[in-house]
Amino acid sequence: MKDSIRKLIDQLHAKGAHYVDARWYPHEDSNFLFMWNGNLKENNASSQSGLGVRVLYNGAWGFSASSDLSDPSAIFNKAFDNARIASERVTFPVRLAEKDAIVGSFNSPNQIDPFTIGLDEKVAFLEKMDAALNQTGVIQRFGMVEFVRKQIIFMDSEGSEIEKNIIEVFPAIQVVGVDKDGGMQRRKYQPSRTGPTRGWESIDEADFLQNAERIVSELNQILVADDAPNGKMSVILLNGIMFLQTHETIGHALELDRILGYELSFAGGSFVRLEDFGKLRYGSEKLTARANALEPNSPGSFGFDDDGVPAQDNLLIDKGILVGAITGRQMVEEANAKAKKQIFNGSSGANRATSFYRVPIERMTNINIDPGNDGSLEDIIANTKYGLVLDGDKSWSIGSNREQFHFACDIGWLVEDGQKKQVVKNPTYRGETLPFYNSLTAVGDESTWNVHYVENCGKGAPNQIMQLGHGVPVCRFDNVQVGE
Amino acid sequence: MSNQVIDLLKQLRQAAIKRDLKALITYHEEDSYLMRFANSAISLNTNEHLISLDFFAYDGRKKVSYSMIVNPSDVGTIEKGLDTLVEMLPHAQALNYEPTFPVYEKDVVDERSYDPALAALTNEERLAYFNTLAEGLESDDVKLSGIFSNGTTTTAQISTANEHTQYFRSTDAQVTAVLSSESLKWEVNAEQSAQKKSDLDAEGLHADLALLVRHYQQSEAVQLPVGKYTVVLGPAATAEITNIMAYYGMTGGALMQGYSFLKEEDQNKLLFSEQVSLRDDPTEVELYAQQADRFGLERKPFPLISEGRFQAFMWDQDSADEFGKTPTGHDVSHASLVMDGGEREIDSLQALVGMERDEDILYIPYIHYMNVVNPTQGMITGSSRFGALFLKKDGSVQVPYNVRLTQKFSDFFGERVQWLSEKQVAYNVSSSYGRRDPSALKVPRFICVKEIEISHSNPSY
Repeated sequence: MKDSIRKLIDQLHAKGAHYVDARWYPHEDSNFLFMWNGNLKENNASSQSGLGVRVLYNGAWGFSASSDLSDPSAIFNKAFDNARIASERVTFPVRLAEKDAIVGSFNSPNQIDPFTIGLDEKVAFLEKMDAALNQTGVIQRFGMVEFVRKQIIFMDSEGSEIEKNIIEVFPAIQVVGVDKDGGMQRRKYQPSRTGPTRGWESIDEADFLQNAERIVSELNQILVADDAPNGKMSVILLNGIMFLQTHETIGHALELDRILGYELSFAGGSFVRLEDFGKLRYGSEKLTARANALEPNSPGSFGFDDDGVPAQDNLLIDKGILVGAITGRQMVEEANAKAKKQIFNGSSGANRATSFYRVPIERMTNINIDPGNDGSLEDIIANTKYGLVLDGDKSWSIGSNREQFHFACDIGWLVEDGQKKQVVKNPTYRGETLPFYNSLTAVGDESTWNVHYVENCGKGAPNQIMQLGHGVPVCRFDNVQVGE
Repeated sequence: MSNQVIDLLKQLRQAAIKRDLKALITYHEEDSYLMRFANSAISLNTNEHLISLDFFAYDGRKKVSYSMIVNPSDVGTIEKGLDTLVEMLPHAQALNYEPTFPVYEKDVVDERSYDPALAALTNEERLAYFNTLAEGLESDDVKLSGIFSNGTTTTAQISTANEHTQYFRSTDAQVTAVLSSESLKWEVNAEQSAQKKSDLDAEGLHADLALLVRHYQQSEAVQLPVGKYTVVLGPAATAEITNIMAYYGMTGGALMQGYSFLKEEDQNKLLFSEQVSLRDDPTEVELYAQQADRFGLERKPFPLISEGRFQAFMWDQDSADEFGKTPTGHDVSHASLVMDGGEREIDSLQALVGMERDEDILYIPYIHYMNVVNPTQGMITGSSRFGALFLKKDGSVQVPYNVRLTQKFSDFFGERVQWLSEKQVAYNVSSSYGRRDPSALKVPRFICVKEIEISHSNPSY
């Protein structure tokens, strides 16, 4: 198959295509188990294979994909035809930033392939979790595990040939109860990704059992709690909400395709402008953010992106100043040309597609906030006059240019005079992105930092779901509007 | 076409029977085309032809499934999927209820929503459509974005119980066109849902875009004070709120999981405005409706709200099996929701802007990034986007910066409803995450609601 793909790439190149690449998925397997109140509601295995071809012709992209590989040349020809018609409406001819031709491979670090583990053992894990969650106050309990194993062969007309073998494991548990006012409440747990590997061995049963007890206990506190207060106060965001705050208002806002207007018809744009790089004060001096695709154990680490560019660790915000973006080969060329100066020194290796049948677009890798010098969670609480500690991503809604946001959390704890007090329910907060990050007054140290995975980030048209990560510490923001 | 698919299903049925499997086999095929525009260029022109097979095996209270995106001629690989089921089934945990095994009582072939002309739409026609809708409206600063997504979706089912099959085929198109100012960052849009080629109306979209661009270029831009407003919702906003309300509030599964803002005892209660009636209507071809659900139940018009009174929950087969309820034909990938129109004869954006009014009205065509803040209270939040207008009572028009609304479903569709347009429009809510699944709602062109609270107002575009 690889010989056939290479030949077809060369043929299209000879026909006038400026650039051609192909992603062949010999296999992508997944296994999803979902237990709800003791019933194994989903016990699904799946597989897919196919080929996606991207062609650049006269400054325009064409793409075609199929699961039917009986005639791969038809897919290449269709992609070429699609590019040819697209070239009839070009305003800024696509150019690709330079990269080296790479022959290489990437294997995600893992010790035990989850597909070698029997179904009995996987079900037994869920049954154990279900039993641990089946306690007073819990009316719904969920346990789920998803395993993914895929092989991707990337080849392009510049001579690259890259093979990736990636394994992912996504486990989580959740409990639901009804509070004293009849409202549905929940707590959930998914493990952090701070270990060195991401195979079956990353599911630590003892850790899950310990956290099962914690979330049941917290749920029961929510069920009898009063509503969170309204007004302006400090919020201390734990990892279970800080990851999402980072995702929505740093990650998406700094995707270069959004900044350049390529997502306006669906996901939206960004308040960031090209002239902001190097000078916009995005947040307080305590804020340093990076796109680090080199974290060992995260779905945001993939070796090479789908432009064939190696994974990198790049600063996005340096001590509060905007310095970088999430980029691929096409967008950095366009941004530099439009800005009439070199803002970006090549692709940051973040152009990814969710499957063989989708085209790569700028996606987050691991969008992290560096740990700070404000001590542990306890230290931060001790230095807070009045506010809420918040955790859990109950709901999120963000303005189309990522300029403002509204989050609802699963749980809050009142903080008064440096003391963590009672649990409160239904906490929400909202803000405007720049004032919010400029009100960042405390960033927790390494003890508060962990990597939270995201398995369902949506973007693009046709839509794509992507997996990635966020390494974040506990952070405190002051003067935040709470309770709407 | 149908023969080829049905022959494959019958062949796979035999392969399942040979393996002693009691199985449901489903087929999904999409032939998808998407032309995407950004910065007044075609930023992507793509097509995908994908065939998916799902196998569900049953053994008493045990159930397992295997899904594949596959080359249909690769029978060896496909049959490996059945072999995997044979391996999985003994290890499955028994449910505490008996799942229904589908037994089709007759053959169903439903191609009411299929239009060969739309299926055969060419790249040139998609481009011509966009050129027409944007004609004369682009400039160095005002750029065109959007999508023209169309395709053919084929689904079919067979079970090992007998040789009866269900076969459905539909065509769909979803058009979103956005004009945005590169310097000021305002953005306006116009959208269209089509089930057949003759539904496509580039000139209609051009008229809406032209009006909005004129106001966004010439009318005063304002940051509205937070507070309560009389709001007119456009079809996108109404359809999205209705869709999320039906999903979270009116399905048996959501009720049993504790997510619904409605309770069983709410049936027949007057919970909404008497002007509001909502039903799931599988007779509506333009909503890509299907005659039967995945378990072979005939689908019929199903009232959800009648003149303000909540009627019934929609029960899919699995939820009905688990909770001892009667399934209502809702084991479908999408309902076909229809909200009845009212009496107000305002059928276009031009008519709305020109309407005589005795109060200020905030027109919100679209709500961006809607999410459920509190499901049991039926509370949602989202921000206005794509062409809001502030229609002053003196007849003048201002352009409001985007605002945030955090309100309950009952705030939108309850006693505060003032009027609904007589005219209804189909609004496409298809998502292309995963498999193509064309879906749309039919809603009044406009709904006017008083006392909608604006909790945040942007200081600029």
